[in-house]
Amino acid sequence: MASGMQAANLTLLRRLLLLVLLMFGFAWGLVPLYRVICEVTGLNRVVVADAMPGRDAAQVAARPVVLQLDAMVQPGLPWQVRPLQSRLQVKTGQFIQLQYELRNNSRQQVVGQAIPRYLPAEAAAYVKKLECFCLRQQLFQPGETRRFPVVLVIDRALPAAIDSITLSYSVFDVPQGEARP
Amino acid sequence: MAIAGLAAVPQQSHRPHGWRRWLFATNHKDIGSLYLWFAFCMFLVGGVLALCIRAELFRPGLQFFQPELFNQLTTLHGLIMVFGAIMPAFTGLANWMLPLMIGAPDMAFARMNNWSFWLLPPAMALLLLSFVVPGGAAAAGWTLYAPLSVQLGMGMDLTIFAIHILGISSIMGAINIVVTIINLRAPGMGMMKMPMFAWASLITAYLIIAVMPVLAGAVTMVLTDRHFGTHFFNAAGGGDPILYQHVFWFFGHPEVYIMALPAFGIVSQVIPTFARKPLFGYTSMVYATSSIGVLSFMVWAHHMFVTGMPATAQLFFMYATMLIAVPTGVKVFNWIATMWEGSMSFETPMLFAIGFILLFTIGGLSGVTLSVAAVDVQLHGSYYVVAHFHYVLVAGALFSLFSAVYYWFPKMTGKMYSERLGRLHFWWSLLWFNVTFFPMHFLGLAGMPRRIPDYALQFTQFNQIASVGAFMFGLGQLIFLVNILYSLRHGKTAAQQPWEGGNTLEWRLPTPAPYHSFSEAPQLDVAENGVVVAMQGGKHG
Repeated sequence: MASGMQAANLTLLRRLLLLVLLMFGFAWGLVPLYRVICEVTGLNRVVVADAMPGRDAAQVAARPVVLQLDAMVQPGLPWQVRPLQSRLQVKTGQFIQLQYELRNNSRQQVVGQAIPRYLPAEAAAYVKKLECFCLRQQLFQPGETRRFPVVLVIDRALPAAIDSITLSYSVFDVPQGEARP
Repeated sequence: MAIAGLAAVPQQSHRPHGWRRWLFATNHKDIGSLYLWFAFCMFLVGGVLALCIRAELFRPGLQFFQPELFNQLTTLHGLIMVFGAIMPAFTGLANWMLPLMIGAPDMAFARMNNWSFWLLPPAMALLLLSFVVPGGAAAAGWTLYAPLSVQLGMGMDLTIFAIHILGISSIMGAINIVVTIINLRAPGMGMMKMPMFAWASLITAYLIIAVMPVLAGAVTMVLTDRHFGTHFFNAAGGGDPILYQHVFWFFGHPEVYIMALPAFGIVSQVIPTFARKPLFGYTSMVYATSSIGVLSFMVWAHHMFVTGMPATAQLFFMYATMLIAVPTGVKVFNWIATMWEGSMSFETPMLFAIGFILLFTIGGLSGVTLSVAAVDVQLHGSYYVVAHFHYVLVAGALFSLFSAVYYWFPKMTGKMYSERLGRLHFWWSLLWFNVTFFPMHFLGLAGMPRRIPDYALQFTQFNQIASVGAFMFGLGQLIFLVNILYSLRHGKTAAQQPWEGGNTLEWRLPTPAPYHSFSEAPQLDVAENGVVVAMQGGKHG
C-alpha cells in the first residue's frame, strides 16, 4: 500500500517535471513563432519600396520643405555612416537626390541593413523613396567605403503643419546566417 | 484517490533540536514556519526599499538618491516583494495548513520541500549582493525589459541567476503542493469537497509549474544575449526587444494570479468561519478559480498595448481581459452572499478578509479600466498602474496573508494573538494603505510617470501625502511583529477550536497542532469547502 503510494507520487512527479520541461521549451518556441507571426501579418516590415505619389496629389501646389539628414549607429557596431549634405531646402513633388557614405571599419566582411526613421513620424507616409540602399542588405568588404544615392519624392499631400522633415538611418549588423545581400 | 496507508512516513516521534531542526527540516510545519518567517523578513527588506523610494519622492528634485540608484531601488523592491515575500508566504501557508486541512501526514516529498525552501536564502542573497557590485543592482524594473536588461552591468547577471534559483525553488514547492493535494487527501475528502484554500493552492501550483519555466527561458535568453553572442532581443543583431515583452508577460500575467488566487482561497475559508455560514456557491467558486487560471494565459498582451500591436490583437486582448472580471466578480458576489444574513463577528482575521474584499475590488475595477486599450494608451506606465497593482497586491495578497496568519496562529502556536493589537494593526493598515495608494490614482491620471526619482512641481502635494502614508503604513507593520513576538511568549492558551464557526479539518486537531499530525489518516465525512461532518480515527504521533 505504502509503496503503491510512493509510486503514484513519483508518477505524478515525473509528469509535472515533463510539464516544466515542455513549458521551458515553449518559451524558446515563442521565438520562431513570433518571427512567423510578424512575417505573416507584416508587422515588422519596416522597409518597403514606395510607389509614385498618386495623380490627385499633383493637384496640390508644391511648397518648400526643409529636409534634414542624419545617421545613427548602435554602439559596438562597425559602421561609420554620414550623409554628404546634412540639410537641404527642397520642394514637395520634386525629385530629390542625395548621397550617403557608409564605411565598414572592421577587418571582416559584414552585411548591413539600414532602417530609415522620420521625424515627425507622420511624415513617413509622405516620403517616397524610389532608390535607397536601405531597400536591401549591403555587403561590405573589410574596410570598404561605399557611397549610395538616395532618390526620393515628398508627396505634395504632406500636411501643412509639417515644414521640416528629418530623415535618419540606423545601420544594423545582419548576422552571418541570415544575410541575403 | 486518497490514501489510507501511511507506513511510508517514518514513524519517528523524535524531534531534532537546534539548527539541525531547521537546516535539515523535513517536517511540513517547520518548513512552513521557515517560509513564513523568511517571507516576513523579505517583506521588511522590500518595505525599506519602498520607504527609500517614498523618501526620495517626498519632494521634487533629487534629495537622497541619484537616478541610477533610484531605479535599482524600484527594481529590487518589486523583485523582492514578488519573489521573496508574497510567493514564499503563500507557499509557506500551503505547507503549514494543507496537510492539516486535507488530512495528509506531511507534504508528499519532504526532502524536496527542504530544498525548495533552502534555495530561497541564497537567491535573495544574490539579489541583495548585487547592490554592491560595480554598476549596482539591476535597474530595468522588475520586468527586466530588454534592451536595458541586455545592457546593464553585472548586477543583472546576479539577478538572472537569482531568478533561476527562485524559479527552481517555486517549481519544486508547487510540485509538492500538487502531489500532496492529488494523492494524499484523507479518505472522504473528495476533490469537489476540499477546502477552497486547497483548490486555490492547487491551481496556483499548476500556474507556477506552467509559467516559471517561461520566465526562466526569458532570462536565459537575456543571459545569452549578454554573454554568448545571441541576438534574441538585440535589434542591432536582428532581434526584437518586443519579443522579450511577449515572453515575459506570458509568464507575467499568470504570475499576477499566482499572487491572487491563494488570497481568494484564504478569504473563502475566513469569511464562512466568521459569518457562521457555509461558503455560498462553493462549486461556482471552484469553477471561477479554474477559469481565472485558464484565462490568465490568454491576456498577456494587455501589458503591451503601446507596443504597436494591430487593432485586432488589441481588441482580442482587451475583451479577453474584461472577461476575467466575470469569474472574479462571481467570487466577490459569493463572499458577499456568504456574509449576507450571517451571524458575523469581527475578529482580526475577518477584518482583514473584509478589508481584502473591499480594497481588492477597487484594485480590480481600476484593472478593468486599464484593460480598455484606448484608456491604457493614456495611463500606461503612469502612477495609475502603480496604484492599481498595489491595491491588488498589498490590499489583496498582503491583507489576505495577515488574515491567514491571525486566523491560523492559534492552531500553529497554541497561543492566542492579542486581539487589541490585531485590530489596531488592521485599522492602522487600512487607513494608511489608502492614504498611500489612493492619491496615486490621481497622480497617474494627471500624467505622472512611474519609476522616476523626480517629478514636475504640480505633483508635489499628492506625492507628499503618499509618502507620509507609506511611512505610517510601514510603521504599522511593526505592530504585527510585536503582536506575534509577544503572543508567542505571553499569549493566552488557545482552545482547540478558537473560532466558533471554524469547522474545517484543521480545527479537529489538538492545539497547537501536533508535530506529526495525521500519521494515520482519518475517515472523513466532508461537506463542501472542507466542512467536516464526521471524523473517525486519525492518529497523531
